[in-house]
Amino acid sequence: MMKKFFTGICAIALLGSCIKSEPLNQECDIVSAYLEGEQYAALFYQPSQMRQDNIPSAGKDIVFSVKSMSLLPDRLPVFFTVTEGATINPPSGSEQNFKGGPVIYVVKSEDGAWERQYTVGFKESSLPTTLFGFEHVETVEGMNNNQYHAFYELDESGKRDDIWASGNPGAILIKTNSKATEQPTYSMENGYMGKGVCLNTQDAGALGHAFKKPIAAGNLFIGKFLMEKILVNPLKATQFGTPIAQVPTRVTGYYKYRPGDTYTNANMEPVPGRVDEASIYAVFYRNKDEKGQDVFLYGDDVLSSPYVVRKAQMAKVPPTNDWTPFEMFFEGGDADPEVLAEQGYNMTVVFSSSKDGATFEGAIGSRLCIDEVKVYFENMKKQ
Amino acid sequence: MKKVFSIIVACAFFAVPALAQKGELSGTLDVKARVGYSIGGTAPLGMPATIRSIDSFRLTPSLTAGVDATLSLGQGWGVLAGLYVENKGMKAEVTTKGYRMEVVKGDSRLSGLFTGHVQQDVTQWMLTIPVKATYAVSRTVSLKAGPYLSVLLSKNFSGIASDGYLRQGDPTGPRINMGNVEGEWATYDFSDDMRRLQLGIAAGVDWQVYRNFGLSADLNWGLTGIFPGSFKTVEQTLYPIYGTLGIFYRFF
Repeated sequence: MMKKFFTGICAIALLGSCIKSEPLNQECDIVSAYLEGEQYAALFYQPSQMRQDNIPSAGKDIVFSVKSMSLLPDRLPVFFTVTEGATINPPSGSEQNFKGGPVIYVVKSEDGAWERQYTVGFKESSLPTTLFGFEHVETVEGMNNNQYHAFYELDESGKRDDIWASGNPGAILIKTNSKATEQPTYSMENGYMGKGVCLNTQDAGALGHAFKKPIAAGNLFIGKFLMEKILVNPLKATQFGTPIAQVPTRVTGYYKYRPGDTYTNANMEPVPGRVDEASIYAVFYRNKDEKGQDVFLYGDDVLSSPYVVRKAQMAKVPPTNDWTPFEMFFEGGDADPEVLAEQGYNMTVVFSSSKDGATFEGAIGSRLCIDEVKVYFENMKKQ
Repeated sequence: MKKVFSIIVACAFFAVPALAQKGELSGTLDVKARVGYSIGGTAPLGMPATIRSIDSFRLTPSLTAGVDATLSLGQGWGVLAGLYVENKGMKAEVTTKGYRMEVVKGDSRLSGLFTGHVQQDVTQWMLTIPVKATYAVSRTVSLKAGPYLSVLLSKNFSGIASDGYLRQGDPTGPRINMGNVEGEWATYDFSDDMRRLQLGIAAGVDWQVYRNFGLSADLNWGLTGIFPGSFKTVEQTLYPIYGTLGIFYRFF
């Protein structure tokens, strides 16, 4: 009876406050993109490369990797699934010409008020280069007047390849009015040769502390940064690797490193006596499981997964103020030539200013600079 | 409890004819001390479409205590003024779709449209000065209505957004998933942005039941939102609307 009475009063309090009919969706994302049919399967190393699911919400470029651009038909139908109720133009499944470059698609939300523009393109599935000089930098304008640097490479034909990813999009999430050089990963003018890249471990700010992610280590890796996961499962935000049809043998490059003063744990409590360390490693792993499903390695398993075939790791990154060469060799098993021919392996190269930055442990102020990274492969032509 | 309420309302109405024949309570000063229990909410007038369901509405203990004096002006009419200490609170859990929210802490800020679960806590301690016209419908029952001014002594408007996702900035911004444990959800606190003064109107009834003791029922309706108009983070203007059931002791 008491409860009924209270409900009555609440009803008065919320007078006219009945639940309104559901608003139309405002979101306008491409959720997945795919090709269908046997005739197109031949373009790809693997049928699974015909499909891209769970496209990152922050992504605006969708790229399919094919064996050869010369085999691409003049017109090709790409299908899409979009946010419920949203529409896409040109329509899903319509034949478009991708030979001349990426095609622009516009997705409009169900409520008609919002739209997003995507580019969809094709590229040859191979590393754009084997020598990474970090000369190509885009300054990305984020929200709240934040900027950050994104690193990319050009392939032989001069086409851009966004092979590198960093945690920068996550770091700017809770910042306002910050410059690209104030982010954990940024382009430095004075590299070993030309520009280089600088990674530094930062205080993640009051909100970072509130989210129990008190520090942001600078990182740079071959792969994708999945923004969606940074609060709920940050170790899964770093998706490592890109398909490759060669077997890596060693990685060389130049670095400078200086650890920050005070090492802190995930609760931001100082750990006396502990000195921060940088990490530099590369992993070559099988990208399919027994059932043929895609396998990706993330922050929590990239060094420990049973899918790892071989890895190269700097046991120590001794502090140094001058550009210092480093070299590390891949160790582990051999690749299966048949699997290799189908691009059944992924490779990643990873740099971080704090070794345990992924679990928010490290020293604020740790700084790792990197330049002229070269990856060597088996049967590689002399250069 | 419901019965009591019905009786009070019934008395208020049926006593009117009786009063017409009497009406000679003039020139006296009634002083009453009261305590009461308030229930209600701090809610928009008209629920926004971005709130999809109210999953729970918990009443936090909201108490009121104070003293007021009524001066009879004749013909049953009087004027009341007083001073109450009040607490108005609530806890609500709602499911949202594209609900605008912002988290600010120090110099860091995260804002956007949230789809998921929101748990909202509101607590306000205040000193309230009521000024009311009263009308005695009988020797034991009187009606009262008028404005009030509240000065907030402490204020809290905070909550948690969990089990869902935020689109940063607008619906095309990056999507950030939020979980259901600390560190994976977003907490917000707009306590400092709340208005210090609140203005409203109140109406109610006093019923002297036994000797100097009586029961009262009041409805307090905030006319000012709990946030100033310049505060845009919470999209809707939220009004404190509370009902109070109380007992009083009449001194004179």
